[in-house]
Amino acid sequence: MIDDRSRSRRSFVQSAGLAVAALMLGARGAHAASTWGLHADGPGPDDMPDAAKKVLKEHFGERPIKDGHVSLDLPEVAPDSREVPIFIETDLPMAPHNYVKAIHLIVDHNPDIYVAGYALTPAMGKASIDTRIKMRRSSQVRAIIETSAGELWWSHKLVYTTLNGCV
Amino acid sequence: MASIPATGDARILLPSQITKDAVIYVRALVAHPMYTGMSRDEHGKLIPEFYIKNVDVTYGGERVARFEWTSGISRDPYVAFPLRATREGPLTITWTDNEGSVYTQTATIAFHA
Repeated sequence: MIDDRSRSRRSFVQSAGLAVAALMLGARGAHAASTWGLHADGPGPDDMPDAAKKVLKEHFGERPIKDGHVSLDLPEVAPDSREVPIFIETDLPMAPHNYVKAIHLIVDHNPDIYVAGYALTPAMGKASIDTRIKMRRSSQVRAIIETSAGELWWSHKLVYTTLNGCV
Repeated sequence: MASIPATGDARILLPSQITKDAVIYVRALVAHPMYTGMSRDEHGKLIPEFYIKNVDVTYGGERVARFEWTSGISRDPYVAFPLRATREGPLTITWTDNEGSVYTQTATIAFHA
């Protein structure tokens, strides 16, 4: 009996704690959006601008890009937009006839939308890239993985910046 | 006193101990301003675009990776990538900028006894 009560109390405390954490996260997200969403009347950092869509089309044509297999490690808020650390990794194989041929990096709101392309070979044993990029403003950052079979996989993340880092 | 690195000074960092057939992470740094062509100097004059465009990675004479960069890569570019250490031999990285300057650095992959 006592055990049951203490257990239910514990689970209540846990769920209450989670609810508070969720509220705090929500508030933080909203605050970030109002502070760093630069132009109130212009497109938000979350919308893919036409220029970025054009870059996708130039590189990949009408080929479908599917969600998944790409893990993208980026800060939520970049303290220095001149040096935003980014780590791209995939669980896709690096076998001689089935490998990750390329990793493409796109920043929707940068002057050069296509930031970098990395052509890889099975000799690497794994597919990942760790680097540092510049960001002009808050934007979606996208990593696209192209396999030797021609499949495209992607992942994206919204990064808030404070200053123009395109110097 | 350590000297200030000049444009093109490059370093390759390998793990201190490498075992055969292990996937290692190669870290590479090159000193380069990576100007976008959008910033100005102290006199208000635009600084022309000046950035690393291509990076070639060869291992024992065989090309294992090739990177295509823009000025959206940060100043003094850093990159880390995996490599399966299948044999002992030189690992060479060549950086080429948009003005055609070529910077090269080589590290030797040797197995731990």
